[in-house]
Amino acid sequence: MNIVLRLAWRNLWRHPRRTWLTAGAMVFSNVLLVFMISLQFGMYGLMIDNSLRTLSGHLQVQAPGYQDERKIRQSIPDAAALAARMRGALDLQSVAARATAFALASSEERSFGIQVLGVEPRFEPLVSSIPGLVREGRYLGNRDAAEIALGGVLARNLKVETGDELTILGSARDGSVAAAVVEVVGIFDSGSKDLDRSLAEIPLGFFQDTFYMQGGAHQIVLLLPELSEVDEYRQRVQALLPDAGRLVVLDWDELQPGLKQAIQADISSAFFMYAVLVILVAFSVLNTQLMSVLERTREFGIVMSLGLTPGRLARLVLLETSLLGAIGLLLGALAGGLLTSWFQVHGFSYPGMQEMAENFNLPARFYPQVTLPSLLIGPACVFFFSVLAALYPALRLHWLRPVDAMRAA
Amino acid sequence: MNRNRIGTLIALCLLPCAAPAATSDARDIVRSAIDHWRGVSSVSDMTMTIHRSDWQRSMSMRAWTRGDELTLVRVTAPPRDRGNGTLTDGDNMWTFSPKVNRVIRIPSSMMNQSWMGSDFSNKDVSRVDDIVDQYRHEIIGESAHDGHTLYEIQSIPHDDAAVVWGREVLAIRDDHVMVRHDFYDQDGRLVKSMQSLEIGEMGGRVVAIRQRMTKADAADEWTEIRLDAVEYGAELADSVFTLSNLRNPRNP
Repeated sequence: MNIVLRLAWRNLWRHPRRTWLTAGAMVFSNVLLVFMISLQFGMYGLMIDNSLRTLSGHLQVQAPGYQDERKIRQSIPDAAALAARMRGALDLQSVAARATAFALASSEERSFGIQVLGVEPRFEPLVSSIPGLVREGRYLGNRDAAEIALGGVLARNLKVETGDELTILGSARDGSVAAAVVEVVGIFDSGSKDLDRSLAEIPLGFFQDTFYMQGGAHQIVLLLPELSEVDEYRQRVQALLPDAGRLVVLDWDELQPGLKQAIQADISSAFFMYAVLVILVAFSVLNTQLMSVLERTREFGIVMSLGLTPGRLARLVLLETSLLGAIGLLLGALAGGLLTSWFQVHGFSYPGMQEMAENFNLPARFYPQVTLPSLLIGPACVFFFSVLAALYPALRLHWLRPVDAMRAA
Repeated sequence: MNRNRIGTLIALCLLPCAAPAATSDARDIVRSAIDHWRGVSSVSDMTMTIHRSDWQRSMSMRAWTRGDELTLVRVTAPPRDRGNGTLTDGDNMWTFSPKVNRVIRIPSSMMNQSWMGSDFSNKDVSRVDDIVDQYRHEIIGESAHDGHTLYEIQSIPHDDAAVVWGREVLAIRDDHVMVRHDFYDQDGRLVKSMQSLEIGEMGGRVVAIRQRMTKADAADEWTEIRLDAVEYGAELADSVFTLSNLRNPRNP
C-alpha cells in the first residue's frame, strides 16, 4: 500500500500546474462554502433568537383558539397565579402572564388604533427584549399603576412625550366600554417598525381593571435557556396545567409559523446553489483525471502486461484523486476558516441587507460563526463528489486490454 | 351601411338614457327608506343586545337625530356603561366616556371597527345616508311581503367611494320599511346581514321595531337593536348636537 501511495503522490506532481489548477477550483469552492454556511447558520440562530425574544417566547400557554381568533374572552383565568406556580415548578424565572386587547389611543391631538399588552412589570423583562429597549423614560414599575410604555413611532404619531397623558378606549371582556387615562412613562424602539407603530404596554393589574378581566390574561409566555429544550419544557408545562383541554401549550413554530418557513425556504434555495457549485468542481476533477488516465494508456498497458491487476491500477487512480481532494479540503477549510474568522470579528454587511434584516429583527451587520460542522460540511461534500467523479476514469481501466493499450498512440 | 350606423347611433343614445331612469328609481326607494327611518328629526329609546355563543349583554340607550348628518346616542343603562355616548356630524364622530371624562374623536381609520362592542361598525352608525350618493342602485327583484311590495335593490359603490364593501343588497318595502340589508365583501362573499325581525307601528309610523345584525360566518353572534319608543318630528335645537352636550347631558 505504501508504494501505491508513493506512486500516487508522484503521479500527482507529474503535471504540477494541472494539479494546482484543479486543487485551486476545489479550494475556491470550499472557501465559498465554509463562509456561506457559517454565515447562514449564524443568521438562523440569530433570527430565531431575536424573533422569539421580542415578544413571543419559546412557549406559550393560551386558551384554545386564541392564537387564531384573538378574542378578548378567550382568556386564562387567574393567569398571574398560574404563571407564579409555573415559575416555581419549572425552576425558571422567565415566565410571565400577558393580556392583549385592541384599543383606540388618543392624545390631545391625535387618535390611533393600537394593540395594548397588559404585562407583569417584574417578569416581562425576562421574557421580552422590549423593556430593555426603552430609549426615553423608564419601563413600567407598579403592577397597578395607570402608566403606559409605547413604541417610538406611535409616540411620534400621537405627538406625546414621557409625562404626557393618553386616553385608551376599547371594549372590555364583558362588552362594556373600557376606558382609562394613563401616563406615558417610557418610549421604546424595538427595531421593528410594525411594533413601534402599534404596540403599547400597560401593567397587568391595571389592564385587568380597565378591561374587566377579573384576574384573567391571554398568554403565559415562557422564554427557555436553550432552543433545544423546547420539547422537554413543553411536556413539563403541559403536566402543570390545571385542567386539560381548557388550556393549550404552543411552541415557537406554532406561534410564529413564518419564521421556520422563511428559514426552510432559505435553506432550500441555498442548497440548490451549493449543489451547482459542488457538481461543477466534480466535473472539473473528472476532466483532469480522465485526461491523466488517457494520456497514460500505454504506460498502464505495460504495467498490466507485467502483471498488475486493473483493480490495483484503479485504486491508484482513486488514491490520486483522494490526495488531490485532500489538498483541496485542507487548504480550502484553512483559507475558508481564516476568512470567516476575520468576518466573525469585523462583521459582514452588504447594501440592502438592512431592510431585510429589519423584518426579522436582526442587526444590520452579521457575524458568521465558525463551527466544526460549518467548517467541514462543504469541503467534505466537495471531497466526496470529486472521488465519486474519479470512479469513471478508474473503472475504465477494467476494460483496458494490455496489447491494444501498448499500441495506442 | 348608413342605416346600420344610424341604428348604432340611436342605440348608443338610448342606452345611457335608459340606464339612469332605472337606477334613479332604485335610488329614490333607498333615499325614502332612510328618510322614513330617521324622519326630519327623531328621539328614540332603544335596547341593544349583543349575543355571543357563551354570553349576552344588553344596554339601553337614547338617540337623537336631525336630518341626515346629526346623531347623538347616549347609554342609559346598565350603570357600568351609563353616560357613554357618541356624537356624529356627517363624517365626524366623537365618543365620550365618563370613566375618563374625555371626548375622543374617532379617526377615519377606526370607522370600520365595532361600535360599543357590537356587530355594528362605527360607519354603520354614523353615515347611513352615504349609501344614497356613493352607490349605484339597481332593482334586482320584486316580491310580496305582508301585503306590500318588496323591492330588492343591489347597491354597488362607485369606484372612488371610501367603503369596504363590494356590494350591498337591500330589501325595502313599498311603505319604506327596510326589511333586510346584506353586506358583501369585494370577493362577493356575504359578511354580515341585518334583518328586521319585527315590524310595527311606533311614533305614528310603521317601522322596523327589532333589527338584528348577524355575522355570516357565525350564526350565534349577533347584535339586536330594539326600538322601545320613538318620537318623530320633535323640535331639536342645535345645542343638542354639540360636544359639550355629549360631555354634560342637558337632555337626559
